[in-house]
Amino acid sequence: MRRAIRNYLVFLGRCARIAFVGDWRYYAWMGVLTVICLLGLHAYARQFAQGLIVTGMSDEVSWGVYIANFTFLVGVAAAAVMMVIPVYIYNNEELHDLVIFGELLAVAAILMCLAFVTVDLGRPDRFWHLIPGIGQFNFPASMLSWDVIVLNGYLLLNVHICGYLLYCRYRKTKPGKWFYIPFVFIAIIWAVSIHTVTAFLYVGLGGRPFWNSAIVGPRFLASAFTAGPALIILAMQVVRRVTASGPAGGASRLPGDTVAPQRPTSRAATLDDLDLLGRNLPELASVSIEARQKILAGATILEVNAGDVVLRQGETDEKAFFILKGRVVVKREESGRFRITRSVGPGEQFGEISALAGTPRMATAIAEEPACLLRLSADALRKLMKDAPMNKVIRSRMSERLMITDRALMTLRSIVQVSMLINVFLLLNEVFKEFYSGNLHVASSKYLYVGLHGHHALVPWIWTAIAFNLVAMVLLVLPVSRSLRWLNFTCVLCIVGIWIEKGMGLVIPGFIPTPLGEMVEYRPSLNETLVCFGIWSFGLLCYTVFLRMSVPILQGRLCKANEGLPESATGAAALGAAVEP
Amino acid sequence: MPARQPQFNPGPAAPAAAVSRRGFLRTSAVVTAGLAALAASLKPLLEMNDFPTLERFMQKYYKELTPEEMERVLKRIETEVERQYGIRPHVRDLKPRDGVEFVYCLNLTRCIGCRKCVHACVAENNQSRNPEIQYIRVLRLPHGSLDIEKAEHNYAPDLVPEKGYFYMPVQCQQCKNPPCVKVCPVHATWQEADGITVIDYDWCIGCRYCEAACPYWARRFNFTKPSIPRERLNPDMAYLGNRPRRQGVMEKCHFCIQRTRAGRYPACLEVCPTGARKFGNILDPNSEVSYILKNKRVFIQLKEELGTSPRFFYYFDV
Repeated sequence: MRRAIRNYLVFLGRCARIAFVGDWRYYAWMGVLTVICLLGLHAYARQFAQGLIVTGMSDEVSWGVYIANFTFLVGVAAAAVMMVIPVYIYNNEELHDLVIFGELLAVAAILMCLAFVTVDLGRPDRFWHLIPGIGQFNFPASMLSWDVIVLNGYLLLNVHICGYLLYCRYRKTKPGKWFYIPFVFIAIIWAVSIHTVTAFLYVGLGGRPFWNSAIVGPRFLASAFTAGPALIILAMQVVRRVTASGPAGGASRLPGDTVAPQRPTSRAATLDDLDLLGRNLPELASVSIEARQKILAGATILEVNAGDVVLRQGETDEKAFFILKGRVVVKREESGRFRITRSVGPGEQFGEISALAGTPRMATAIAEEPACLLRLSADALRKLMKDAPMNKVIRSRMSERLMITDRALMTLRSIVQVSMLINVFLLLNEVFKEFYSGNLHVASSKYLYVGLHGHHALVPWIWTAIAFNLVAMVLLVLPVSRSLRWLNFTCVLCIVGIWIEKGMGLVIPGFIPTPLGEMVEYRPSLNETLVCFGIWSFGLLCYTVFLRMSVPILQGRLCKANEGLPESATGAAALGAAVEP
Repeated sequence: MPARQPQFNPGPAAPAAAVSRRGFLRTSAVVTAGLAALAASLKPLLEMNDFPTLERFMQKYYKELTPEEMERVLKRIETEVERQYGIRPHVRDLKPRDGVEFVYCLNLTRCIGCRKCVHACVAENNQSRNPEIQYIRVLRLPHGSLDIEKAEHNYAPDLVPEKGYFYMPVQCQQCKNPPCVKVCPVHATWQEADGITVIDYDWCIGCRYCEAACPYWARRFNFTKPSIPRERLNPDMAYLGNRPRRQGVMEKCHFCIQRTRAGRYPACLEVCPTGARKFGNILDPNSEVSYILKNKRVFIQLKEELGTSPRFFYYFDV
């Protein structure tokens, strides 16, 4: 027990330490975010001292850009987890690694949501009145009390799932199904519920006809499913960029070619070599001597030097490798860049997927240090995999690769595509109902879309949003958005369009005109805007740190095996330029 | 935690120490700069309007206070008010009376839109003068329409009433089915036995959900510390009524709880020069309000279709 706690604390400590290690780009990015965070904190301190008078809000428009951001971010949080559905329900392997990134995004988004609600409170010092048991909790009558439960519950669920999966990956153990699969399914339902509950915050108010519409809930989900995956598409490409080791100028840029490679020495493998492998691969113990001998027929031992290319992306040869000693880095070229997929050490394998499938190599493997490798034919590997424990360990390793493939991004694209179509359709429904029936309650919609009684602060905003959404919709339907450049542009349009439409475009018109028919407009104050920027920076800071910790773990560079080494020596620090030759 | 020391580069001790000294200096410089930046960004807290004392921070919910605790809290409030305004107020915790349900009736034929009720209310209920908070909003409507989206809020003629218009004062409607109570996440607002919806100003967290929920725009928020000239302070106070509020909490019309629960009329009624305002106990068949609701032929509950069932009735002399 004590040992388990110690191990866990070491894990947390290493994660914390690695958050402070990076190249200059990392420091620059974190520095800028920290400065904006502090500016936001300064603005919030002013608000805390002087009251919400420093915002643009009033008794007429009593919620503003804080709640608008909150609403948008709840959607992001909900959608980020829904990535889980294709993976766990439809077994989409391409998206497998995106799940953790999605859930981490959800965690960051929820933290931002909680921050946005807190800064909106007039008496944040009385937060404890909301804690069930010691405060007074108006559950189930108040939708806000539901929101408190679902948001915090969602935060815990996602922290648990990500934390558990990452810790297992760190220890290189297989996650226990019962420890996370049930939570994954709860999180899926929970994701729908957080956004539905947030919609009900508005829908339940009979005195505000603009919000009191059953379609708000479905609209929220549709727009969340557009903006959330769009954000993930962008974030994943950033991860891919920074994990890339530099621009790919063809194979000649590979380190193995710049240093004239010595021909690796090779010899036939012996039973002793298998024993050596068995030290780092305990599952091998269950393979009988007869089976071992069969496997050894045609197996070779390669002695390679640091920088030698063991196998090359695109080639086809049906050989798989196990490492007896040394380390090998596996890189993959995609969209013109190399990135480190993972780094493998003694007892681990590489090259087995294309060996088994007979497909071209998906990546290039280069020795990081002088290494001793066992090379097996596909047949020998299959024989080895007839043994149940070996089969299990090899298969589980095959499925735990960090891969952000273009195909995964295209799967996200189709989610964004369908959601955007539904979103625009639902918006049209709402607009039709409001304007065609033309009853007295159309006032807020008129204010939003065309202006009312000479007030039209939101009109340019909403039309910008609609234009962005429509252009994004068209681009998503056209094949042009299969190119990453266009897809990124489209994603930005989606995110900005939806931020306006469901943030400011939904919250503010609900207050204008007031229930007594008065027209008072709202414009966020500078102080309020600074607080918002601060919270967004805080969220980005959190997400960057989460990625900074999880990427090396998923790549196998930060693991229990290399515990005790300084982070810079494990290569865990090498999130970018540091691994360049 | 016995962390394993990395045994890397076991070179001579001196260079390693130099490296770690440099690292230490750099780390401490970064940490110092960070703390300084943090302190600088928190500086506005020094000009705090309303720093909660531990006693106020820990104060219990109204319904959970024992009579002795309530006694102590009332004394504390009196002391606090005295310290701030130089006047010792009399703060009471008035309970609803049995067999009483308050109802307000307002005669739209008589109201001349003079807004005397608005100002009497401000004076009686210790509302903030800067920024201005008022519980009553008088709407000017053109004859022939009750569409409040056509209402004029900022009418300012030399003389009221104006030809072609009628006036409709709106304040908290004391709904039987109040949306504000339903949405409050912390039970800081509730309906009392005599029909008055009250707010525990020391429990409200200032989320303003009730303000969004109210179909009558009857709730007001203290966007900053309220300011009341000390010579205008009304020292006759009630805990759930007109005691001075703090920054960041909601307030609204409470039918002058400090008066009506002591057997007096609300301030807005007393000041009305035309007798347009009527107030009383609907459970008493002989009360004025019972008479009006039984005998007047046209009366309106504002936004009746929302199902809030107001205890505030508008009627006409027909």
